[in-house]
Amino acid sequence: MSLYECTFILRQDISATEVNKVTEFLCSIVKDNDGKVLKNEYWGLRSLAYPVKKNKKGHYVMLVIEAEQEIILELQRKVKLSEDVIRNLIIKIESFDKKDSIMMSASNDK
Amino acid sequence: MSESKIKNIESIYENAHKRLFFRKRTFCPLSEPNAPQIDYKDVKLLSKYISERGRILPSRISSISAKKQKELRLAIKRARLLALLPFVKQ
Repeated sequence: MSLYECTFILRQDISATEVNKVTEFLCSIVKDNDGKVLKNEYWGLRSLAYPVKKNKKGHYVMLVIEAEQEIILELQRKVKLSEDVIRNLIIKIESFDKKDSIMMSASNDK
Repeated sequence: MSESKIKNIESIYENAHKRLFFRKRTFCPLSEPNAPQIDYKDVKLLSKYISERGRILPSRISSISAKKQKELRLAIKRARLLALLPFVKQ
């Protein structure tokens, strides 16, 4: 088991409830396979630095996951098939902070 | 005057000459004990080390150590992938 940090950008024209639905779906993939979701962050609707698939804005979701490698591969496969997720970044991390990340405090300021 | 003394004086003059052109030594701002951790999420920090056009600044300009520059490069590239930083600014 190792720690992973996954960040997803979701389409701009979906609503907040749909964002929750997609996040729950992604979490369920991990939870159903003996993985753990340690952190779930929603950074809000942010404007992108450049257009991605004709989107100018995107909902950012970040998860910290503890799971086996196969589950991560499965998660990545599902994410690529999903039409709501326009970008994803899954990286392995050594440790993580239980506090809110910088993005959360930055979005609160706005 | 002995030969060694002359050499000594010569070396002092040489050093004085060098000191004229000696630039103020700069330290890596990210290697300090309470420096912020380099993270792709920290857009505010990363944007300090990219040029106006969005390119990564060379370490000789930003005076960042090689070790930290490596981390910074990776963080900037990850931030670009997530559209937090631009690849190019028009």
